[in-house]
Amino acid sequence: MDALAVSLLTGLADAASLFLVASGLTVIFGVTRVVNFAHGSLYLLGAYIGWSLLTRLPHSPLGFLLGALATIIALAVIGMALEMALLRRVYRVPELFQLLATFGVVLMVQDIAQYFWGAEDLTLPRPPWLRAFVLIGNQRFPRFDLVIIILFPLVFGVLWLLFRRTRWGRLVRAATEDREMVAALGVDQRRLFTSVFALGAGLAGLGGVLALPDASANLQMDLSSVTDAFVVVVVGGLGSLPGAALASLLIGLLQSFGIMLIPRATLALVFVVMAVVLILRPNGLLGRPISGSGGGTPALVRPAPMALRAAGGAALCAALLAPFYLGDYALAIATEMLIAMLFAASLHFMMGPGGMASFGHAAWFGIGAYASAFAAHLLAAPMPLGLALAPLAAGVLAVAFGAFVVRLSGVYLAMLTLAFAEIAWAIAFQWVDLTGGDNGILGVWPAPWAAGPRGFYWLALGVTVGGTLALRHLLATPFGYSLRGARDSRLRAEAIGIPAARIQLAAFTLAGAAAGLAGGLYAYAKGSVFPTYISLGHSVDALLMVLLGGVATMSGPILGALAYTGLYDLLLAATSLWRLVLGAAIIVLVLAFPEGIAGAILRLWTRLRPA
Amino acid sequence: MLEVAGLCSFYGRAQILRDIALDCAAGEVLVLLGRNGAGKSTTLKSLIGLVRPQAGSIRFAGAEIAGAEPHRIARLGLGYVPEERRIFTTLTVAENLDIGRQPPRPGIRPWTPARLYEVFPNLGAMPARIGGRMSGGEQQMLAIARTLMGNPRLILLDEPSEGLAPLIVEQMAGAIAALKREGVGVVLAEQNLYFALGLADRAVVIEKGAVVWQGSAAALAHDEATRQRFLAVGAAS
Amino acid sequence: MKSPGPVLLVENLHKSFGGVAAVAGVSFALDAGEMLALIGPNGAGKSTCFNMLSGQIRPDSGAVMLNGEAVGGMAPRAIWRRGVGRTFQITATFASMTVRENVQMALISHHHRLWRSLRPARRLFVAEAEALLGPVGMAEQAERAAGELAYGDLKRLELAIALAHAPRLLLMDEPTAGMAPAERGGLMALARRLANARDIAVLFTEHDMDVVFGIADRILVLDRGRLIAEGSGAEIRADPRVRAIYLGSGETSGGH
Repeated sequence: MDALAVSLLTGLADAASLFLVASGLTVIFGVTRVVNFAHGSLYLLGAYIGWSLLTRLPHSPLGFLLGALATIIALAVIGMALEMALLRRVYRVPELFQLLATFGVVLMVQDIAQYFWGAEDLTLPRPPWLRAFVLIGNQRFPRFDLVIIILFPLVFGVLWLLFRRTRWGRLVRAATEDREMVAALGVDQRRLFTSVFALGAGLAGLGGVLALPDASANLQMDLSSVTDAFVVVVVGGLGSLPGAALASLLIGLLQSFGIMLIPRATLALVFVVMAVVLILRPNGLLGRPISGSGGGTPALVRPAPMALRAAGGAALCAALLAPFYLGDYALAIATEMLIAMLFAASLHFMMGPGGMASFGHAAWFGIGAYASAFAAHLLAAPMPLGLALAPLAAGVLAVAFGAFVVRLSGVYLAMLTLAFAEIAWAIAFQWVDLTGGDNGILGVWPAPWAAGPRGFYWLALGVTVGGTLALRHLLATPFGYSLRGARDSRLRAEAIGIPAARIQLAAFTLAGAAAGLAGGLYAYAKGSVFPTYISLGHSVDALLMVLLGGVATMSGPILGALAYTGLYDLLLAATSLWRLVLGAAIIVLVLAFPEGIAGAILRLWTRLRPA
Repeated sequence: MLEVAGLCSFYGRAQILRDIALDCAAGEVLVLLGRNGAGKSTTLKSLIGLVRPQAGSIRFAGAEIAGAEPHRIARLGLGYVPEERRIFTTLTVAENLDIGRQPPRPGIRPWTPARLYEVFPNLGAMPARIGGRMSGGEQQMLAIARTLMGNPRLILLDEPSEGLAPLIVEQMAGAIAALKREGVGVVLAEQNLYFALGLADRAVVIEKGAVVWQGSAAALAHDEATRQRFLAVGAAS
Repeated sequence: MKSPGPVLLVENLHKSFGGVAAVAGVSFALDAGEMLALIGPNGAGKSTCFNMLSGQIRPDSGAVMLNGEAVGGMAPRAIWRRGVGRTFQITATFASMTVRENVQMALISHHHRLWRSLRPARRLFVAEAEALLGPVGMAEQAERAAGELAYGDLKRLELAIALAHAPRLLLMDEPTAGMAPAERGGLMALARRLANARDIAVLFTEHDMDVVFGIADRILVLDRGRLIAEGSGAEIRADPRVRAIYLGSGETSGGH
């Protein structure tokens, strides 16, 4: 009984922590419609700045209070600066490019934090008042966590009153719907947005500083917190404050009781909850459908001009002959680039023409890789069979899972794919008997004819070019046009007999299978398979490649994969602050070429050759 | 009160407005006529700053406002009611009105919700109704009332009669006539000639982004040739 | 090969949203070649009625009979396959395709080539698409992107798309909204000609009384989800109830 009570309290404390971060995120999304990946970085900065202040202030409750308040203010200022310097410039670009820009911030903040505070975890000295416990029956519960629990309804109530009872709140709610109209009525919406961002950042800072007594400031807390916060926000319904509160409670309690009941499934539990909620309620618990977010009119798609085809042909020839002029190391890198291209092209297929962005595309890559590894180990299958099983396994799972995915759209769809990827990752990580867990599966060797760097390079080239061209051709067929049609106007598609959901499911499945094929290739290229193949970071890599290249044309993901892997390898070799430079480069690219590299080249081309 | 000269606006690289010149005094109703896509909406959007003009001068209430931000223009007392109404659908009628609120302006009898409910009795009957649950006609009235809460000296109305039942259009005409009596200037973009000419003092006809005719509303009503040429009315009816 | 009886028969159609009745017991019939206008105040239930006929909304109760077959509650796709074309109040076209490709897609779907063909879509049914664009006056703009068309041209394109599968019933929701008066007359005269030539039944909603009284064979008046009047233009104009709730004095429109 007491254990249950303590579990309940632990769950409430978890829920409160979740809510502090998620409330800021949902408020910012509600108004600016920006999927702010950097919210986790604000949380991280809150923890580090809080640590710096709290270790210098008296270790008393008053000192803590002052430190926390100062941290909130510091983060609000940082949030304002971030909004004015970066986000203000990207409000008009498509939402995925905003996400890309905020991801650039994530990378930069990681290096900045490491530079100032070092790579070690930082913990707070714990004076007696922080260590104090209350007794519940014979169970002990940290007194500080009670404070956090009390903050939950307090912060919620203040925010609720702010949005419902003040003119500022009404203005914010109006701007959430229609910024332009608010401005035309005489409201300075830029100041409004900046103030909202400052509020959200301040909340993230509060969350960060409150995480210190129970845990530490560390460099991993940005992505883990932003993922959790996104889950809460999506489960609650994007932009809904009560939704975020409800979802925080649900997830906090499920986590604390889940650990008691099924300890092995802890990593996946949160994402299972999100998947179930999204399948049952496609707009989250209390969310409403998001009206068109003003991504602009999709551009006309034309067949590639002859010059581009010629350039592609020439590049293909150069690639075919590469083993004769590149060394083994360069060939290995080139092989990885080819696989990245197929991976990016597969994501582009569902994301560009299909209009279905994915935050979890690495799932299919990883499933393909594990399928090949299982084939090699459990079935002792030869490489061709192993390679064939990769897209098959990914495709079969994609069709089963995709049936739920295609019922959603936008960020919700992307988050459901993330949920699936995280579940797949958790299985790969936690089902040690089957997958070897973190140690992975080793010894996935290619057939003798493809064992050398040259042979495998040619194999990768053939598979990548074949796969990419097949996807490209499909886009020109009635199926590909229907896919684009369902994206442009689902209403019109259905009104002329195009089964939009089935078309999208087919595209989702094909994209999954192609990513699986890339994963299978990668398994044989590396000779091993690890859970990191399915990680969020790997999914983000794919997104970055597609967005950097440009979503409009098929050449986008190919150029994007080249640019991203090239930049990555170069920076990694050149500087220890590679994340800072890469993040800055991404932000510059988004600001300078919001249509991606391929789009920028196309624009230059049409400008140089009028008509 | 409003003087526009040499106004040019672009969407991307396409020039939409060429050398637009017009003016409107306090208590005057000026109607912008023209075919679909002639540039009426773009003219209004350029005046309020939602489209940034590339060239030209817009003088309003003694200030140059060409290129200024929308909220600054609105605070000078220029009101704008867009074609799509753009009601805040999750806010109530009263909250919608509050968003438009601006401090009182010298020379303008301040608009209050109570006064607006007299002009638009439908709204007075439903102050707590959510914007999204209103009919098209009610939304149009709310859009105008919301803009009036800013106590504008001059109000830009983009096709207020569009998509409304004839009876509601009559009520709308009554409301615009009431504004005129208050001394508020009105620039009205319209396709409905009967509605427009019944209200307007003067008319400007726009064709392919340029002013091709201007004069008194009465003159246009009698100028069959101009109506035929630029508005092509009369052929159908 | 005309089947006997009306093309469309609607009986006692009902739909409520959150306890509020949007359409409450609407019944009417529509014959081949006939143009029927549905008018009424904003919020009277016209669009709800339309969306139930074309499948976007599922009726709570009542029957929608198309050539004698009950189609109420079917998906939009299924109703389209049975010969119902529609245009939308806010136009819905494929912005990333050319005008011709938009029509080609309707043809491809009609001829069941969505899944079965691996040929490039833009080479399929080119002549058929051109033949549909001609009559609506869009032939010259066939290569333009639908996303950059003027509003009136989008309406014309929608008409061509709606005619691609040789429909027996055409549903037009506020077909002339946002068009200049002259364009309105032109588009509806075109619809009238096509309806006569191809024996298509046309149901449309409209606020322009010039169009309604000039084009429609018969007029239905809807108020708060109920039909309150039905008849010829002259009968409707003379009906005091219609004047009171909808037409008004007639001073702001040219309807006379």
